[in-house]
Amino acid sequence: MSECLHQWAMTNVQFGFVVFEKCFHCNSLGTYFSAEDTPILGDKYREGDCYWSRVENAQTFRFDLQCRQCGREEKFGDLMGLLHCTGCLADCEVEAMQKKCEQDRTWILVAFGFIYKDKRQPLPPAKVDILTDYFNQRRDTSRSLIKIVSFDLIKDLSVCRGDFIHDVGMLSLEPPEERKHLF
Amino acid sequence: MEIAKVKEALEAVVIEAENGLDVTVEHVYASDLMSDVLAFGKPNSILLTGLATRQAVISAHMAEFKGVVFIRGKRPKDGSERFAREHHIILLSTHLDMYDACLRIEAVERGGLAVGDKAAAKTVSDELLLCRELVIRGNDFAGAGMVSTEVKSILKKIGLDPKLVRRVAISTYEGEMNVVMHAKRAKVNLSVTPRLIEVVIADEGKGIPDINLAMQEGFTTATEEMRAMGFGSGMGLPNINRNSDELMIDSEVGKGTTLVMRFNI
Amino acid sequence: MTTKDLIDKLGLRALSTFDDRDVNGVFVSDMMSDVMAGAKSGNLWLTVQTHKSIVPAANLVDVAAIIITSGKQVPQETIDIASKYNIAVLASNLPTFELVGKLYALESFKK
Repeated sequence: MSECLHQWAMTNVQFGFVVFEKCFHCNSLGTYFSAEDTPILGDKYREGDCYWSRVENAQTFRFDLQCRQCGREEKFGDLMGLLHCTGCLADCEVEAMQKKCEQDRTWILVAFGFIYKDKRQPLPPAKVDILTDYFNQRRDTSRSLIKIVSFDLIKDLSVCRGDFIHDVGMLSLEPPEERKHLF
Repeated sequence: MEIAKVKEALEAVVIEAENGLDVTVEHVYASDLMSDVLAFGKPNSILLTGLATRQAVISAHMAEFKGVVFIRGKRPKDGSERFAREHHIILLSTHLDMYDACLRIEAVERGGLAVGDKAAAKTVSDELLLCRELVIRGNDFAGAGMVSTEVKSILKKIGLDPKLVRRVAISTYEGEMNVVMHAKRAKVNLSVTPRLIEVVIADEGKGIPDINLAMQEGFTTATEEMRAMGFGSGMGLPNINRNSDELMIDSEVGKGTTLVMRFNI
Repeated sequence: MTTKDLIDKLGLRALSTFDDRDVNGVFVSDMMSDVMAGAKSGNLWLTVQTHKSIVPAANLVDVAAIIITSGKQVPQETIDIASKYNIAVLASNLPTFELVGKLYALESFKK
């Protein structure tokens, strides 16, 4: 059977929020997607030993990808967002990779999965590759390329100073100000 | 410029317009950043935005805008309608993106609707008598026809001419079948003014690669299975065209199709 | 029409160093999510957002150029990173709606 060379398109686009919550008991971090209209900051709830409180939210959207030729669908509900590395740590693997790829006009973006009690839920490598394919299908690759990598590569999230590509402060009636670092 | 003309030009559906669309605005503000709306927006304006939340409506209200148009088919869910009703703000939703929406309004300001010959003749400053939103589920062959039946029953109740109601029902039925056969889902918006009935079917689906081809009688992309069930004779769009007074089709392959059907009363 | 043509015809200020490119359409939004979902390669992107993350967003969808409207001040960080990626960051004092009007008046963008 011949393999389909998938031509991906976004589908099932759903707008919502990435919610960041902290447990003030064990100080661990959790993130999840919410399709609520306006997640309430400071909302507290208990789950087992953990006392969660929402500390931040960012307007985002989730999507799936579907092949225009064969109809195969890949769900990306596990993708929290894409982060741009700002090279804050010279010895970070992402920064190292970024420096190398720049020479070939390849730009790196980090695919973040969600986090539960500080435990990362990365996307499987095959799906990360599909994201890379999708974004490269949207551009003239003779000019430049995109490479998506997994947030596994970041050793310590709490020192990461990269920028997420998402909407911050859209619900604020105040002018945009300095962005908080999320981790 | 009247908001009724804006609605017309943007092929928009009404989300909230308790006192009708006969409202004049002087300026247009296109932005997703509400702090800008508050800082720079002028009174008697209309807001074009992709931010489909209550903040957009609140900001519009505080800046003394008369209306908000949500673009890209977006609609707020969070009590925005109630807020808009209480503060007399008109809410519309258009399938157009921000650039196209700006262009269409620009055209209205310059004194001519950019929407093609058929629509240009209308001066719709009419009171909105009725507005209903319905949903069609794609691939639901068993339930196919329920929305057009509902539309027919609504129009009969308000006492419209039976021949006219039949034309609307047939057109809506054909549009509904297209959604069931070729799309994931669709929002249907029925609006009635003293002079016009408008049915908008906006779907998320395959889209139509060649609209001219699709308008040819007998041309169909229905599967064998669908034909076996009696659907997909290839008369859908031609039938709608025959039964309606105006038909506008906007489609993007891989995204979906919007049909705007109008019937003179 | 290329980025350089646009700068001349619309009196824009070029803030970054960039590769000149053909512009094939216009995308207007201040929301990253809408840009990621809807902008096409080679588009001109109009926005009032100036945070440096607009550059990787623009790069991701391969827009030809970003026009910051409404006379917004663009932080040097944003300009620097745009120059690094060779993406044009241009500035206009006009509000978005008015700038769209001007773009329409240029032959290439008539629909």
